[in-house]
Amino acid sequence: MARFLDENFSRRTLIAGGIGGAVWLGLIGRLAQLQVLEGEEYRKLADENRVRRDLVPPMRGEILDRFGRPLASHRSAGRVSIIREQAGDVRKVLADIAELIDLPPERQERVVRQAARNAAFVPTLVARELTYEDFARLRLHAAQMPGVEVEMGVTRSYPRGRDFAHVLGYVAKASQKDLVRLIAEQVTDSVASEDQLQRLRQQPLDGSLHPIHIERALPLGSEVRLKWAEARQSLNTLYQHPDMRTGRSGVERMCDDALRGERGSKKVVTNAAGRIISELPSEDTAPKSGQDVLLTIDSELQRAAIERFGDETGACVVMDVETGDILALVSTPAFDPNDFVNGISQSDYDVLRNDTRAPLYHKAYDGVYPPGSTFKMVVATAALETGVMDPDERIRCNGRYRFGNRTWSCWKREGHGHMNMHEGIKQSCDVYFYEAAKRIGIERLAETARRFGFGKRWVLGMTGGARGVVPNDEWKRRAVGEPWYEGETLNIGIGQGFMSSTPLQLAVMTARIASGGNLVTPRLVAQGPGFVTPDREDAPLDPEHMERMRNAMFGVTSEAGGTARRAGDLGIDGLRMAGKTGTAQVRYISQAERAVGVIDNADLPRHLRDHALFVGYAPYDAPKYAISVIVEHGGGGSRAAAPVARDIMAEAIKRDSRRPPAINQADLDNPATARGTL
Amino acid sequence: MVAMGYSSGVAGRLRIVEKLGQLPWGLAFLITAVAMLGTGMLYSVTHGNLGESNLPFAHLIRFAMGFVLMLVLALVPIRFWGALGYPVYFATLFLLVMVELSGSVRGGAQRWLEIGPISVQPSEFMKLALILALARYYHAVLKEEDRYRRFWIHIPALMLILAPAALIFKQPDFGTTLALIASGGIIVFLAGLNWKVIVSALAMGMVSVVPVYHYVLQDYQRERVDTFLEQLSGSDPADSLGDSYQIEQAKIAIGSGGFRGKGYLEGTQSQLDYIPEQHTDFILTVIAEELGFIGTTTLMIVWAVILGWGLLIATRSGSEFGKFAAAGAVGIIGFYIVFNVGMVLGLLPVVGVPMPLVSYGGTAMMTVMAAFGVIMSVHIHRKEVYTPRGVVV
Repeated sequence: MARFLDENFSRRTLIAGGIGGAVWLGLIGRLAQLQVLEGEEYRKLADENRVRRDLVPPMRGEILDRFGRPLASHRSAGRVSIIREQAGDVRKVLADIAELIDLPPERQERVVRQAARNAAFVPTLVARELTYEDFARLRLHAAQMPGVEVEMGVTRSYPRGRDFAHVLGYVAKASQKDLVRLIAEQVTDSVASEDQLQRLRQQPLDGSLHPIHIERALPLGSEVRLKWAEARQSLNTLYQHPDMRTGRSGVERMCDDALRGERGSKKVVTNAAGRIISELPSEDTAPKSGQDVLLTIDSELQRAAIERFGDETGACVVMDVETGDILALVSTPAFDPNDFVNGISQSDYDVLRNDTRAPLYHKAYDGVYPPGSTFKMVVATAALETGVMDPDERIRCNGRYRFGNRTWSCWKREGHGHMNMHEGIKQSCDVYFYEAAKRIGIERLAETARRFGFGKRWVLGMTGGARGVVPNDEWKRRAVGEPWYEGETLNIGIGQGFMSSTPLQLAVMTARIASGGNLVTPRLVAQGPGFVTPDREDAPLDPEHMERMRNAMFGVTSEAGGTARRAGDLGIDGLRMAGKTGTAQVRYISQAERAVGVIDNADLPRHLRDHALFVGYAPYDAPKYAISVIVEHGGGGSRAAAPVARDIMAEAIKRDSRRPPAINQADLDNPATARGTL
Repeated sequence: MVAMGYSSGVAGRLRIVEKLGQLPWGLAFLITAVAMLGTGMLYSVTHGNLGESNLPFAHLIRFAMGFVLMLVLALVPIRFWGALGYPVYFATLFLLVMVELSGSVRGGAQRWLEIGPISVQPSEFMKLALILALARYYHAVLKEEDRYRRFWIHIPALMLILAPAALIFKQPDFGTTLALIASGGIIVFLAGLNWKVIVSALAMGMVSVVPVYHYVLQDYQRERVDTFLEQLSGSDPADSLGDSYQIEQAKIAIGSGGFRGKGYLEGTQSQLDYIPEQHTDFILTVIAEELGFIGTTTLMIVWAVILGWGLLIATRSGSEFGKFAAAGAVGIIGFYIVFNVGMVLGLLPVVGVPMPLVSYGGTAMMTVMAAFGVIMSVHIHRKEVYTPRGVVV
């Protein structure tokens, strides 16, 4: 025997044995990790494995208008799904189904792939939204097709389609991002310790991570991790149910918690194939339907307003001047939220997104526009409050206003002559308001504007909402990095320049004027979970000043020389509307262009034309409703916006949108009876 | 020294009874204990399942047959093993080529060769044949000390490994390919392959992972690797009904056993069939769930003792052939265990390797018992000096 080999072999064997021993220790270590360290967690999982909770999804709450008309409710629709383990040859069964209903080969392929991914006993959706004929035919033949389930499912439906696209938003199947949000909400509600919440906050909850990643980053065995695991499992299974949806935007999103309801469950013992071995009926819990949400909207008025807009794009807000109830919240054009419920195709979505008329955009709540001349009541009020102008003082307008070395123009090139405050508003004289703004100063002007509700996002119980801008020196230094120049104050005097506001803010301003200075606060949710307690923190407005504004606004629509003479008469028993026109400049008009004559809107391409604005209230002597209308690229406010506002206002009065709502709180607390009454 | 032809050396020829007395009975006892554990676990998995209740009994019968095989092989003089090395290897290689040309396809892989009424799986024979051939090769080549550190002596050995490995990989049978490479690699390592070569080979192996993944692996193999990587990185285990279902369920069963286990026949996951392949590749989950960390660790320790014993036998063998053959046999068994446990614990991709003596399945049982037979033969004939030309020195 060669001795050299003996030694070398023994040495190598020792090394090999050592490496083997290390591998052994590694395997035993892994066993210890799974069985000893994490054993408790796996034991829980094992119990869940065995006792499955078959969930019974809750009925999502409805969203109703102020008279109880459903805006978001449900519709039953047939669907067919396939269970791989029972079907055997999925392809063959799909081919059988395709003989009964329209099922393109690509769709069949997708189902085959999805079925392969799903567990053998989990139904895979083949087709939904079956027509009655398809449903009946499939039902008839289902018995001969193994593993095919034909059943009725519940789908969210928006009976008013586009009318409430922006207000209601829509629901969709929960994405990973939704799940992370939903789990985080549930966990933060139930974890008490500040320290543990802190840990959770260190995790990025923006949906970039799968819920399990976040769970793994949490300390093992901690309460927050246990809660997370619990919430993850229960929500994951709940949202896998084909009927479950989650709110993605609008009221659906903001009131999602209340609308969702609580799931019920059936406890069953299953084997691994998912077959139920026995049921545990004593542990059944019935699902709790979601709460209904009652909006302040009058859906018929909304419809009338949208019809009045026709092909024009724009926004309209109608408010009750006493309660702040929003009766109509229109943004046109809109999309059909029903298209989103089962997932919209990318191409359809791209069409919406690339439409220059911005159907996805909530112009009434998210859109910001220069208020233009509709802002003049605010400037006038500020002038009165600061005492820089006597309402009877006359300012001469010759069509131009010089300040420093620049010249500002009045919209009326030949000038208005001598203007007092009443005439200044009525005829919308720009020169009068250049002078007023200059005397008030930007800081004081901004302060008054805020008390009219500008520069703040109104919380309405739906997603979105723009603040707009009430500019002042501090704002400009922050946003632009430059100090405020006094000349810019002049632009603010006529609602141009940096000043911007949403149509909703304009309606609030108008309601505050119309109500004689009450701090009217808008609300969209009348009763139920999304109700927002109004905040009335603003300093009050002087009723005397408001009376002056109301007189001037009456002048605009009803006196000789007013800019909207024809908008005053509503055509109902001689009721009249008071209001104010406005034009928001979309493009910059240079000095040079002014010198040769400003190009008429009608001669400009549409996207450069001015926005037409109108704010008003009616009846002028006992105000009930305030309205704001913006017609995008409509040209002048008096011609394009005022008639629209007049017709919508007339509808509001005719329909008596203010009559008491048909639903009371007791009904809302009991969804069953609430639905029964409809 | 006296040339005595095919006669015993220092110890002289042993009679069969003497040989049986020489048998490492302690080792045989441990092997039997593991097989009994397997039988018990198979009973736990299958009792009450119609049509499967004879599984533990069949397992026991197979073990008994395997045990006899082991004893017979153990009694075969080591010189016969040496003489068989090359013929068996090349015959099996020929069969592998035949499989490639005319083998029958079962379960998507071409592994079986039908010879009349018998169907054989040559890849399984190859495991033993390879180690015998390698041992025979090094036995001859390592006679001279100056050859020990030469690299070229390992090149034919590597070819002996790669030829069948390539054929079997093509079948495709990833698990057996790995087994061949691992057990063959161990022999080459023990034969003193230079560390530099080992390190550079490992480095090359790592570099080639990506190209192998993309161009060599079959779709189903790639899927397994994907699944493994997914569950390792935790990218989508929440969807426990997807691809990684088996591994997730295995982990739940193992983890839920805890330290002491749920008790024999009390494992909920095992009893309700949560884990596919539970009577074969995933039987460790049943042990883990019902007998706990104590059970799994005990099994691992028993295996460590068995394999350590085998290595000890290898070092004590009086012939080069005996050393390499015993160590290679240990390598085969060790490979089974590491890959099985690693796979079940989610540390390695699912390659379909059973737990020796415990998992239900005839082929692996026979291979493992034959490997034990070789080890025992090396032990019994440790003093028998054998030269390639059959001359006892």
